[in-house]
Amino acid sequence: MGHLNVAAVRLSIGERTLLENVDLHVVPGRLCAIVGPNGVGKTTLLRCIAGFAEPAAGAILIDGVSVGSMPRAERARAVTLIGSDAESPQGMSVREVVLTGRFARRAWWDWTTGEADHFAADAAIERVALAPLADRSFDTLSSGERQRAWLALALAQDARTILLDEPTSHLDVRHATSVAALLRSLADEGRAVLAALHDLSEAAAIADDVALLGDGRLLAFGPADDVLEPELLERAFGIAFERARVAGAWRVFPRAPIRRNFSH
Amino acid sequence: MPSRVWLLCGLALAALVALAAGLFVGGTALSPGDVARALLHPRAGGDAVAIVWSLRAPRVALAATVGAALAVAGFLLQGMLRNPLVDPFLTGVSAGAGAAIAVGVALGIAAPFLPALGFAAGLATALGVAFLARRGTGIDAERLILAGVSLSALFSAIIALALTRLGRNGSEEILAWLAGSLAGRGWSELLWTSPYIVGGLLLAALAVPALNALRLGSGIARAVGVDVARANWLLLSAATLLTAAAVALSGIVGFVGLIVPHLARRIVGSDGRYALGASLLLGVTLVPLADALSRSLFPPSEIPLGVLLAFVGVPTFLYLYLRPAGATRLWGT
Repeated sequence: MGHLNVAAVRLSIGERTLLENVDLHVVPGRLCAIVGPNGVGKTTLLRCIAGFAEPAAGAILIDGVSVGSMPRAERARAVTLIGSDAESPQGMSVREVVLTGRFARRAWWDWTTGEADHFAADAAIERVALAPLADRSFDTLSSGERQRAWLALALAQDARTILLDEPTSHLDVRHATSVAALLRSLADEGRAVLAALHDLSEAAAIADDVALLGDGRLLAFGPADDVLEPELLERAFGIAFERARVAGAWRVFPRAPIRRNFSH
Repeated sequence: MPSRVWLLCGLALAALVALAAGLFVGGTALSPGDVARALLHPRAGGDAVAIVWSLRAPRVALAATVGAALAVAGFLLQGMLRNPLVDPFLTGVSAGAGAAIAVGVALGIAAPFLPALGFAAGLATALGVAFLARRGTGIDAERLILAGVSLSALFSAIIALALTRLGRNGSEEILAWLAGSLAGRGWSELLWTSPYIVGGLLLAALAVPALNALRLGSGIARAVGVDVARANWLLLSAATLLTAAAVALSGIVGFVGLIVPHLARRIVGSDGRYALGASLLLGVTLVPLADALSRSLFPPSEIPLGVLLAFVGVPTFLYLYLRPAGATRLWGT
């Protein structure tokens, strides 16, 4: 469960067309990275898949049902989006934040949180290794811990498809690695995971498939090693790339990096 | 967490004590025994029964209602706008009501009709603000604040104009209203505003489960299944009904709607379900206490309720949040 199909989708903002002819599919157990330059429409695409906005044309289906037509509670079990605009509330504990992931498990006017909700929240917090911080105020967490807490919220929500908008941005290399490992394990557990990533080497390391956006359309969609290759990347980003295998995984980097002056 | 339930029970007890205190305190000296007898035998007749049942009891009930309404309205708006400095008058309700009352006084409308006039004008102003603040099917927080502040400024100018034009005739009525007072209000005002208070509280109860998720930003709230537009409309409608009713009853009683939600979150934490209950109970405690003080400090004259609350509330607020070394966080525990 959690088969995501994006078929012939066109995205517009007002009159302006952002992306055309986007076709991609993510099946349970696979992690798909969305890659492309800033402003190409990665966030808008994720918001459409999450059901926040309607695409101008085309269909977005999860397990064969159009996301836009799902009742809210059903949609919350099908898909969730951890955006980069999530606000860290002062005074709410990590557990309270994660518990909000259970909102759609009861009627929207229902005040209660049940045994199952607390159990799911605690399990999710345990899963992202934040158990010692569960009662800490959310705003005292570091960026890396916050990102793990948002993942715990998605886990408590138990959506079949998990969408993430730049989950490793602003994180130091250690925290970025731990979040990336969590994303990989979410997919390995049988969820469909779709993440907008900026670090191409990270995408090459953890993603099964890559959707490369550029020039107002989907330039390529397929296995990560086929898509993250210099020629396609150059078409998307407008600069030359090189790649090299390091310890079995591709590393992707710009061919003409900025260098400090070595003459001194 | 049961400890939070016990805290709410403690607050309920404090509210009961405050309500009782309101009955035993007043301009006329009555012994506690007289008050108790009058309460137990309402049909016995005599001065004590008349004072307790037609003067003090309605005052206490009015004060408790105003406190509950303003505290809950402030709590809802602070949560909805994710802004701890919001008070219930932000939506322009008080300024709109005040302008209508000022114009009403200038036109010579009889005093008993003024609360209803203020109530209607307050609701109309809030509707105008909501109309200006809408975006798509929802409400934009920033636009709401801008529209509320601008319309409030406009209506405040109308009040000032009315005050300068009226001179002595009638300006007292307006000033009393601006300073916040329960003098001259009774069971009949409480009766006709109560459906709006009850309705506002019911809407608030419906909106509260979404409040915790809304605190995480509208993106996360949508992702976990909150209908953000519906939640915001519910919160705004509830806050508006409660504020308009409170303003009709008491004029502008400041600081309750700003401070009480902070105290409530201090006591029970930031979970909206507990903080709503705590706000309501604290409102029911503080305003009757302040009203009892206002009646008994310098009898027979009364200190306006809004003035007294500001005198007590501002130092409390400053102590809580601007202590030199320390926790200056505005939200929560």
